[in-house]
Amino acid sequence: MKPQSPADHTILTKIVSLSTLLVTVMLWSTVSTATPLKHLVAPDSAADCYECHKKATPKIAEDWYQSKHGVQLMKCFVCHGQPDGKGSVPWAVVPSPKAVCQKCHDPAMQRMQQKYGLELDCYTCHPFHQNSLHHDAYKKSASKVK
Amino acid sequence: MKLTRREMLKCAAASSAIMALNGSLPMLKDAMAAEAAEPDKWVKSVCRFCGTGCGVMVGVKRGKVVTVKGDPNNHNQGFLCLKGALMPPIVYAKERVTKPYIRKNGQLQVASWDEAMDLVVSKFKTALKDHGPTSIAYYGSGQALTEETYLASKMWKAGFGSNNVEGNPRLCMASAVGGYVTSFGKDEPCGCYDDIDAATCFFIIGSNMSECHPILFKRVAARKQADPNVKIIVVDPRRTNTARIADEHVSFVPGTDLAILNAMAYVIIQEELDNPRFYNKYVNFMTNDKKKVDFDAYVTFLEDYTPEKVEKLSGVPADQIRKIAILFSESSGTMSLWTMGLNQRIRGVWANNLVTNLHLLTGQLGKPGATNFSLTGQPNACGGVRDTGGLCHLLPAGRLIKKPEHRAQLEKQWGLEPGTIAPKPGLHTIALWNAFSEGKVKAMFVLCTNPAHSLPNVNMYTEGMERKDNFMVLSEPFMDAETVKYCDVLLPPAFWCEKRGVYGCTERRYSLLMQSVEPMGECRSDVDILLDFGRRMGIDPKVIPFENVDDIWNEWREVSSLTPYNFMGITRARLEKESGIRWPCPTEDHPGTKRRYVRGEDPNIPKDYKNKYKFYGTKDNKARLWMRPYAPAAEEPDQEYPMVLTTGRVIDHWHTGTMTMKVPELRRSFPKAYVEVNVDDARQLGIKNGDNVELVTRRDKMVFQAKVSDVCRPGLVFVPWYDKNLMINKLTLNAFDKGSKQPEYKICAVRIAKV
Repeated sequence: MKPQSPADHTILTKIVSLSTLLVTVMLWSTVSTATPLKHLVAPDSAADCYECHKKATPKIAEDWYQSKHGVQLMKCFVCHGQPDGKGSVPWAVVPSPKAVCQKCHDPAMQRMQQKYGLELDCYTCHPFHQNSLHHDAYKKSASKVK
Repeated sequence: MKLTRREMLKCAAASSAIMALNGSLPMLKDAMAAEAAEPDKWVKSVCRFCGTGCGVMVGVKRGKVVTVKGDPNNHNQGFLCLKGALMPPIVYAKERVTKPYIRKNGQLQVASWDEAMDLVVSKFKTALKDHGPTSIAYYGSGQALTEETYLASKMWKAGFGSNNVEGNPRLCMASAVGGYVTSFGKDEPCGCYDDIDAATCFFIIGSNMSECHPILFKRVAARKQADPNVKIIVVDPRRTNTARIADEHVSFVPGTDLAILNAMAYVIIQEELDNPRFYNKYVNFMTNDKKKVDFDAYVTFLEDYTPEKVEKLSGVPADQIRKIAILFSESSGTMSLWTMGLNQRIRGVWANNLVTNLHLLTGQLGKPGATNFSLTGQPNACGGVRDTGGLCHLLPAGRLIKKPEHRAQLEKQWGLEPGTIAPKPGLHTIALWNAFSEGKVKAMFVLCTNPAHSLPNVNMYTEGMERKDNFMVLSEPFMDAETVKYCDVLLPPAFWCEKRGVYGCTERRYSLLMQSVEPMGECRSDVDILLDFGRRMGIDPKVIPFENVDDIWNEWREVSSLTPYNFMGITRARLEKESGIRWPCPTEDHPGTKRRYVRGEDPNIPKDYKNKYKFYGTKDNKARLWMRPYAPAAEEPDQEYPMVLTTGRVIDHWHTGTMTMKVPELRRSFPKAYVEVNVDDARQLGIKNGDNVELVTRRDKMVFQAKVSDVCRPGLVFVPWYDKNLMINKLTLNAFDKGSKQPEYKICAVRIAKV
C-alpha cells in the first residue's frame, strides 16, 4: 500500500471531521424533528395523539391531561402540529412561542417582555404541561412554585 | 488513519456545539418560520364558531390571513379555544365556492353573476305572481352578520309581504327565547360573563360547555381555581369533560330533568332556603294554563315532586337532589348555565322556565354572580336573529308580528304605508321545510346554513329538496356542504374576515368584524348579494335605502331606539375602537349594561325608581314563576327501541363540519362520527371498543364505530352530528316544542346491535 502523504492525511482528516459532523446533524435531526414511522401508520387519526401517547409516553400524556391545557382540552396538535408535517401548525417538539403561544398568551408575553425583557422564551419559567388545574388545582402551579 | 489530538478535539468540539444546539435549533427554525409568517397587520374581528363570541385579531400578510390571536380587549382576554386558534386554513380551503353556479341537467355549472341572479329573480317573481307572498321564503342563520339578517328580514316582511323568514336559530335557541319571554316578558339573558367571576355556585344543566363553549368553561374553571369553596354542579346524563371540575355530577334518566328541577324547588321551600322578600315583591306564580295563583298553590303543586318520588323517576338519589338544592340556594351567588340539553326538547320552554323558577324562588338574580344564563350555540344567533327579529313571528327589537301596534310602529319607522307588513306570522322552520317538501313553498333563499345536514329526520326534507317544482338558491362558502347537492343556484359569498359587519354574542355583547382581506374569486358579501337581489326584484327603494353595510347598522340602531333593546349608543365608530359593547346602550357615552332589570345598571329603569328590580317586560313589572309539570319525551324507549339516542358536539368540530373539516388537525382528530356506548350496555350486547354497531330508529338506520366508555349512563348512546358521511340527523326526530317550535334532537328511541 502506498504510504499516505501529509496532504492525503489532511484530506482524510477533513473527510472524517465532516462525516462526524454529518452523522451528528443526522442524529440530531432524527431525535428532534424527524417523523417516527409509527405516526404514519394511521394517518386518518394522526391528531388523536393522546390515545397513543397514554401508552407510548405515559408521563407526558398524564402531565398534559392534568394540566390546564388538558382540562380545557387544548389538544397536542394545537401547539405541536402534526408529526407528518401535514398540519396547519408547524410540527415541533418545542413549539415556537411566536407561532403558537402568542395565539392565546400574547398579553402575558408582552407583560413578561416589559417586566423582564424576556422574549421568545416561555419554557424557562413555564415547564411543559405542568400548569396544574385538576387535582392540584388549588396548589400553586409548577411555574409559580419555581 | 491517525488523527492528531488537536484534530480530534476540533471534531469533538464541533460535534458538541451541534449537540448543544439540539434543543434550541428547532426553536430557532420555528422562530424563523414564524418570522416568515409575521403579519403585516392585525385586524380586529370575532371568532367564527360558537356563541361565546371571542374577540380575535386576524394576522394579515400580503393580503392573506396567516394567523390569528385572541383579542386582549374583548371578554376572552386574549384566549382562544382550539378551534378558534386554528381558523386560517378554512379561508383558503380548496372547497371554497368562488363563482356562481346554476344546476343544468342535474349538474352544477359555472355561470356569471348576471345569469345566476336573473334565474333566481325569475323564479321568485314567478312564485310571487302565481302563488303569492307565502310561496317564497328566506332561511337564514345564526352565523350571518346582524346586518345581513336585518336586511333579509326587512326585505321579505316589508318588501315582499312574506313573513316566511326563518333560520337555524329555531333549531338551537328558540326554547331559550320562549323561556325568557314567558318568565320576564323580554328575550335575552339578564346577566353577563362577568357574573362567572363573582359566582360561588355554578349550576350547569344540559350543557357540555367544556366542549361547546370552551372559553367560558375555562373562565368557570379559573373561578374554581381562584376559590376552592366555589361549588360546581353538573346535571347531565353523560359524564363529559365538563364534569371533571364538578363537585356534584348528577346523572339522570334522559328527560326527567323537569322533575328534578321541581324537586329542587320542593327542597328549597322545605329547608326554608327560599327568599319571600324577593318573590313576594317581584314574582307572580302562574299555573301551566296561565292563571295567577298564590305561593301556597305552588307548594301544593310541588308535592308531586318530593326527592323520593323523583328518585324513582329520574334515578337520582334523593339525597343528591337535596344536596344540590341546598348548594344552589345557600350560595352567595348562583349562576345557572344551560344550552341544547334543555333547548332541543319538546318541553324546552318548560325546562327553561323551571331553571328560572329556582332563581326567582331564591332571589339568585340581578346580583353579581347570581343569574340564569342561557348559552347560545352560534356566533350571531342572539345578535343577528333574536334581536333583529329574523324569525317568522318576530319584528326587530323584540316586537311581534301578531301585535298591530308593533307592526304600525315599524311601518312608521321604516317610512312605509300602514298595512305593509302582513299580520299573520309565517311558517316556523319545521313547518316551512314541510311546506317546501310538499311544494307549497315554491322559492327558498338559503343563506349561510346547511339544512340538508342540520334538520332533524333529515331524509324527509332532502327528498323534498329534490322536487323539480320548487327552487332553492343557496349562498354557501363551501362546495362540499351537503345542501349544495340539492340547490338549484349556488352563490359564492365572502367568508368571515372577507367582509365587514357585527356579531352579537350570548351576553348581549356586540362586536365588529372588520374586513381583513379581499373576498376570494368572484365572492361577494351577503349584504351585496341581498341588495342586488332586492333591486333586481324591483323592491320598493324605500325598503332598501342602503349604500353599504354601515347604513344598515345605523338604521337598526334607530329602529331599536324606541324599545328596551336600544342600540343608539353603539355607533360604528365605537365598535371600531372598542372590543364589544353590551346593550342596552342608549347614548354614546353609556358604557353598556352588565345586568338588566336592576336599578342603577339598566338604563331602562329610572335612577329614582322605588324598587331595586323592575321586570319591565311585563305589565305589572313582575317576573313569572311557572308551574310546569314533568312530561315525557316525544319518543320514549320501549321494547322495540329500548335505548335513548342523544346527539351533540365534540370540541374539535362545529355544526356540520364544513369549516372544521378544512383544518387538517381537527379533521384528523375526529375524522368520522362514532357511537358512544356505556361499558355495561356494551358488555351485555357483546360490543367492544372499535366494533361496528348498527343504530336503528323509526326513521332510518346507520352503522357507527363504537367507543365504549363510562361517559354515557346505561341505556343512553351518543353520536356527534358533524359528519356529513354519517349524518345522525337521518335518525333523529322532528317532533317539536309547541311553544318554541324547536325540535327534540336530544331524545329519541333507538335499538343498537353489533354487526
